[in-house]
Amino acid sequence: MERDKNFILGIFDDEDILLNAVREVRKAGIKIHEVFTPYPIHGLDEDLGYKRSRLPIAAFLFGLLGTTLALTMQYYMMKFDWPMIIGGKDYAAFPDFIPVTFELTVLLSAFGMVGVFMISSNLKPWAQPRIFDLRSTDDKHVMAIDIANNAALDLDSIKETLKNVGATEVNSKSFE
Amino acid sequence: MQVTSSVREPLVTGGKTYKDVTNDVSRQVEGKPSVTWLLGLAVSVGALLLGSLALVATLWEGIGMWGLNKTVGWAWDITNFVWWVGIGHAGTLISAVLLLFRQKWRTSINRAAEAMTIFAVICAAMFPIIHMGRPWLGAIWALPLPNTYGSLWVNFNSPLLWDVFAISTYFAVSLVFWYIGLIPDFATIRDRAVGIRKTIYGALSFGWDGAARTWMRYESVSLILAGLATPLVLSVHTIVSFDFATSVIPGWHTTIFPPYFVAGAIFSGFAMVLTLMIVTRKAFNLEDYITIGHIELMNIVIIITGSIVGIAYITEFFMAWYSGVAAEQYAFVNRMFGPYWWAYWSMMTCNVISPQLFWFKKIRTSIAATFILSLVVNIGMWFERFVIIVTSLHRDYLPSSWVMFYPTMYDVGIYLFTFGLFFTCFLLFAKFFPVINMAEVKAVLKSSSEKVK
Amino acid sequence: MKENKKTYWKGLEQLTNDPEFVKHADKEFPGFKGSNSKAGEGDSSRRDFLKLMGFSLAAASLAACEAPVRKAIPYVNKPVDLDPSIPNYYASTFISGGDYAAIVVKTREGRPIKVDGNDLSSITQGGTSALVESSVLSLYDSQRMKGPQVNGELVEWAAIDAELPAKLRAAGNIKIVSNTILSPSTERAIQQFSEAMGEVELITYDPLSSYGITKASETYFGSNALPTYQFDKAEVIVSFGADFLGTWISPIEFAKQYSKGRKISKQNPEMSRHFQFESNLSLTGANADYRTPIRASQSGLAVLSLYNLLAQNAGSGTVSGGSLELPNLARAADELWAQRGSSIVVSGSNDPNVQIVINAINELLGNHGNTVDFSRPSYFRKGNDERMNQLVTEMNAGSVGGIIFYNCNPVYDFARGSELAEGIAKVKVSVATTETKNETASLVQYITPDHHYLESWNDFYPRRGEYSLSQPTISPLFNTRQAQESLLKWAGINTSYYDFIRENWQGLFDSQETINDFQEFWDRCLYKGVYTEPIAAPSEDESSPAILTPVGDIGTAATALSRDNNDAASGPELVLYAKVGIGSGAYANNPWLQEMPDPISKATWDNYVTVSQKWASDNGLKMQEGATKLANVTANGISITVPVLVQPGQAEGTIGLALGYGRTEAGRVANGVGVNAYPFLDTSKGHVSYDILEGVSIELTAETYRIAQTQTHHTYMGREFVIQEATLEEYKEDASAGRYHPEIYMDGEFVKPSKISLWSGHKYSQHHWGLAIDMNSCTGCSACTVACQVENNVAVVGKQEVLNRREMAWIRIDRYYSSPEGASSNQELEQAADNPEVTFQPMMCQHCNNAPCETVCPVVATTHSSEGLNQMTYNRCIGTRYCANNCPYKVRRFNWFKYHDNKDFAGVNTPQNDDLGKMVLNPDVTVRARGVMEKCSMCVQRIQAGKLSAKRENRKIKDGEINVACAIACPTEALVFGDLNDAQSKVSQLLKIEENTLSANKEVNEERAYHVLEEINVSPNVWYFTKIRNKDKNEA
Repeated sequence: MERDKNFILGIFDDEDILLNAVREVRKAGIKIHEVFTPYPIHGLDEDLGYKRSRLPIAAFLFGLLGTTLALTMQYYMMKFDWPMIIGGKDYAAFPDFIPVTFELTVLLSAFGMVGVFMISSNLKPWAQPRIFDLRSTDDKHVMAIDIANNAALDLDSIKETLKNVGATEVNSKSFE
Repeated sequence: MQVTSSVREPLVTGGKTYKDVTNDVSRQVEGKPSVTWLLGLAVSVGALLLGSLALVATLWEGIGMWGLNKTVGWAWDITNFVWWVGIGHAGTLISAVLLLFRQKWRTSINRAAEAMTIFAVICAAMFPIIHMGRPWLGAIWALPLPNTYGSLWVNFNSPLLWDVFAISTYFAVSLVFWYIGLIPDFATIRDRAVGIRKTIYGALSFGWDGAARTWMRYESVSLILAGLATPLVLSVHTIVSFDFATSVIPGWHTTIFPPYFVAGAIFSGFAMVLTLMIVTRKAFNLEDYITIGHIELMNIVIIITGSIVGIAYITEFFMAWYSGVAAEQYAFVNRMFGPYWWAYWSMMTCNVISPQLFWFKKIRTSIAATFILSLVVNIGMWFERFVIIVTSLHRDYLPSSWVMFYPTMYDVGIYLFTFGLFFTCFLLFAKFFPVINMAEVKAVLKSSSEKVK
Repeated sequence: MKENKKTYWKGLEQLTNDPEFVKHADKEFPGFKGSNSKAGEGDSSRRDFLKLMGFSLAAASLAACEAPVRKAIPYVNKPVDLDPSIPNYYASTFISGGDYAAIVVKTREGRPIKVDGNDLSSITQGGTSALVESSVLSLYDSQRMKGPQVNGELVEWAAIDAELPAKLRAAGNIKIVSNTILSPSTERAIQQFSEAMGEVELITYDPLSSYGITKASETYFGSNALPTYQFDKAEVIVSFGADFLGTWISPIEFAKQYSKGRKISKQNPEMSRHFQFESNLSLTGANADYRTPIRASQSGLAVLSLYNLLAQNAGSGTVSGGSLELPNLARAADELWAQRGSSIVVSGSNDPNVQIVINAINELLGNHGNTVDFSRPSYFRKGNDERMNQLVTEMNAGSVGGIIFYNCNPVYDFARGSELAEGIAKVKVSVATTETKNETASLVQYITPDHHYLESWNDFYPRRGEYSLSQPTISPLFNTRQAQESLLKWAGINTSYYDFIRENWQGLFDSQETINDFQEFWDRCLYKGVYTEPIAAPSEDESSPAILTPVGDIGTAATALSRDNNDAASGPELVLYAKVGIGSGAYANNPWLQEMPDPISKATWDNYVTVSQKWASDNGLKMQEGATKLANVTANGISITVPVLVQPGQAEGTIGLALGYGRTEAGRVANGVGVNAYPFLDTSKGHVSYDILEGVSIELTAETYRIAQTQTHHTYMGREFVIQEATLEEYKEDASAGRYHPEIYMDGEFVKPSKISLWSGHKYSQHHWGLAIDMNSCTGCSACTVACQVENNVAVVGKQEVLNRREMAWIRIDRYYSSPEGASSNQELEQAADNPEVTFQPMMCQHCNNAPCETVCPVVATTHSSEGLNQMTYNRCIGTRYCANNCPYKVRRFNWFKYHDNKDFAGVNTPQNDDLGKMVLNPDVTVRARGVMEKCSMCVQRIQAGKLSAKRENRKIKDGEINVACAIACPTEALVFGDLNDAQSKVSQLLKIEENTLSANKEVNEERAYHVLEEINVSPNVWYFTKIRNKDKNEA
């Protein structure tokens, strides 16, 4: 992230105004770096043109892995590695394997997916995020526009647009 | 965007703004601990220490310290285990199932409920370990690891082993679910804090920045976790009930157990949530977030599950009679009129009769009544497990081995220990973690609160 | 070690009890000092145990060198040189006063660890009793006498030998007091002694006296013989309070005989009919077909009445006073008459008059010479109550100079013990030879401790023509000396008792032709343990022709009886009895006996006054979980406080109290357990009377008390899936009478539970071990429970833990009373009838092929073997107790505490706590740790040993070569163990298992055989045979 040090921030109070603003701003051909909100706003991702997350697929694959692991483990341990007569049942008593299989499926699926989420969103205890505006985790929605990325347009017009679409404040922020 | 009905009661009252939400919730975390809180903590830790005497004595001398005997091999230990696990159901159920059903009212209670779940499961998980004759070995040997001589594994036919997987999975997934939800709120607190607190909450918040892209992923993660957690919640108590249902003991060997246990779990879980919520909202004056509306909705869930449990009790008797198995029939008659009749009838009163009071809106919407009944329900649910475990065992097939079970002070002490543990954890949580999911409340604030700004 | 061996070889050349050597052995033996001081604290460590093993090995080399070389011959073909881990067996004889059993002692590394019956004996025929089984532990009682004592000071033998004989001579008028002496050599030793000492008199008494019988036969036949009873030859058995299966004279032998008449099969559907008239519910009464509770005061009259009824049949003259109307009495008379010559009438009364009438009855019935044989008299009871009575008077009069108590304890177990105690002080020289400290020994000046019988040489003459030997199976643990040897020494004869016996047997050797070398004859006798004279030549000392002719008449007896027993007696009557386990109380310090549940009351660690249910309800007493009240019982002016036990079957107006408890000087285990009832015994009529008819009172106190019962629910709630029984009539019509066939509805039809399964089941390709239990043969004597405890190192947990319902027994005998007739509701079914039918059901792990316990263990600590055994892997067990919960038979036992090396249990669990006690442990069986589950393993160690020896000899296993401890101990062969895959095995034959299948779930065709809880289809490998009662209708 060397390039973009300097940003223009549009601060919004209301999520509906924000959503509208996002659409307007993009119509105006301004490239939005990212929008920071204190809570999830439905539809924001579409308006920003983000592709649907592929996390469900990850979850499914991990779940599948869990199922296979569980079944192979139980069959191997009970039937092949050391078969023992237990309660007169067959060595591999399939009905008895269902609960553990289910649990392991859920376990791997959940942890796999969360793991992927953490990595993809760069969430880790020692992560140092760039805070554009402290209020963005409180009550304000912050739209960040990367100046370098919008070199074509001049700053004032961007600020103008932001004001027009209902930003309560328009500040500029630069990271060293 | 969101579907909201105008006739619905507002979920958050008192005209809160986003700012207010942040302030109201973070205040607890940032401010000095209140006297009531310190008092509560002192009591809980006291109970913890007192109980630990009983625990240490048991671990040192042996399980003989308890009241168990040749015929009744489980009593308070597994009763407490099932009881705590049951309580541990509400949290995940509220956050997962209600999320799937898009029940917005969950938002202000799910955080605390999940926390309760986690602590309850910790308490529950203690018992399967300490009730072992040789816990120092059992804790390891119950896992699918090869023994020192090679290929001696565990027995996947054993419901007890299923429990190991079910409980640990449930615990792990609930924990993750809970923590994912905490991350944005930690970020909020981080951005208000300075100094060491900033670093601590910074670490806890995993560097959350609230970017729309992250929120998008966050949303689908929580949705899928909810999807996974829902069957998980149902599976946990189902598998716990297998401990009994798959056995051959009259009164245990019952196919109705899984649904009946799950209903019972939700029943007791919601009751415990109510107990805690009513205290918390008062202590942290969060009345505007946890409203009568919430309480009423939960009471309705209690009526329903309570009635399901009641039907289950009756069905059991019918099946016993219909089966034509003498021992089975005796087991149930013995529950009603045998030496432990008092346990049975306290269960019936607490679980089946008392919740029916919630049919009256007056009672349903009265804080005091709800609080008392929520306690009553949990007492009843403890007796349910006691009835199932002890009264079935103490008079099974061969009359020659019929006995009575009398608890010792060590049985009681260890139960006390878990209470101490539970409330200590919960109080620490209430002080240092945001007890209400700010992000989610904010998300529903606009659509459901009469005024924003 | 090498050095040690040398010393032992050296030590061997001398006699084993050379003080020099014994001192040395003591040093070798770590427990010795400990047992003085430390054992009490039970703080011995694993290290001590190893040291102990070291000693065992030392002892091993010793026993190995000693026994075979010239003194003992192994019982079975074992290598003469001892191999570690290979047991050696020695034929020997158990003896305690007149209680006799021919046994085989199993030794491991030179330690006797188990006592089995000797099949070659024509008397006990391989049977044992709880007392016999437990006797091996009293050998290792760390509280035995450590050496000779003078006024409580340990001294050297030499010191005593120096002064005692002179003192005795000086004192003059020496009395030797003893229980019945069965050993001819001992009697000769005493003879020698008296010859040397001058005026010496041997006075014999028995704690459980049968003086009445010998006295009666003296008056009636002119010969004070104790006849040989043959219950096996009797079609009809009538017993008036004689507990011949439990405690009366020779119970092992009688149980053996009795069971022969009770075994039935399709081929032979006949069994004896047994009438019992008694006050307390005895073990024998519990087995009777018809039992009539009678007041003690009626017993004499009942006998008279029976005589009259028979006399009427016989057309001979009746006597006055015998006109008592009792249920079943007339019927008994008719059936006796119908079975003249093959019937038997016995009475447990010690009143000679009653026994005279009994003689007359058997005479009338022509039973003499058939079922009651005076031509082969038994010598189990030689006691003379009247002489003993006089002795007490003489002692107090100070006319007795010296007194020697030969292995007896009259201060405790004779009626006038307290007076006798005072008398001892008035005697100049008093000596006791008992191996353990006891109430008498603690009062005498000289204690010259005898060996334990497992350390001694001796011979026995229990019945005319029948001899047996006992031989040492371990060299003396303490500085003890055989009493006979002491007597000989004091008489100035310095021969060893071993040689002394051999001299005596010279005569026997001469009287036979078959073997013509004495050494060979001796070795053979020693090898067999028993010797039967070719022709029972009437020896000169008694004169008893084949059939005795009555000399006395019963008129006087009759009048005496009707005088003494007035039927109209009001107040309560106290009937004193002996328990099957503790007996006379001589072995009370043995924790195995103390913890053995009484077969009837299922109570442990206590005696108590038994009252009828009516009395209880009248006095508002209800027992729950053993909780009861204390009562003050007063008789002959003595009053004691004792807990009350409500006993169904107790005759109204009578109360029962067990002897053998309330020891004060027996040792750590027994002291203070229960109350001493001997002082109640009444000697006013010359004989010791066990029925106190007058001046008895009992009143409840407010004080509560808990009796430690292992079973507190006494009926089987009409559950046919537990107890299945029928009457003989029903059985004759339909062999499967009384059977309960559960069926389960499936796909439109009712099928056997075994037909419904998710699984095809496994095959047992090699062996398939199984057990068949005949509830008709089981008398409930509980020998098996103690045998199992010995064999499998089962812990003793003590009274408190039994109260907590945590006894560890692997095999228990469930005793069920019948509910009152017509009982239907649960409340009614829970009540026992006032005179219930009793059923005994031995219950141990059923080794289910579809074992519920195996499925639920999370760590596969319990699994099934490929031979049908349900195995318990102690060191894998983590103790979740799920298996025990899921066991429908509740036979699994959990180690709630650490029972071994734990000072909390040192006082009761001596075999696993003090160093000496540990020597009794079976090295083939693990001592279980705290927190693990345990249960019957079907003696897997014995199965393994048997398989290995067969393998070594490269042959198939012979049926019967492997057997389980309980089955071996059983005097009635109620339990039969064997390989179900072997069509020829006894168990397969019994169960009629159809050939072919190696399948785990065998089909049996024997109609009587059933599985307990068949409907849950756990498919046990233990079958029960329906209980058949020889009566017209089932009152159950």
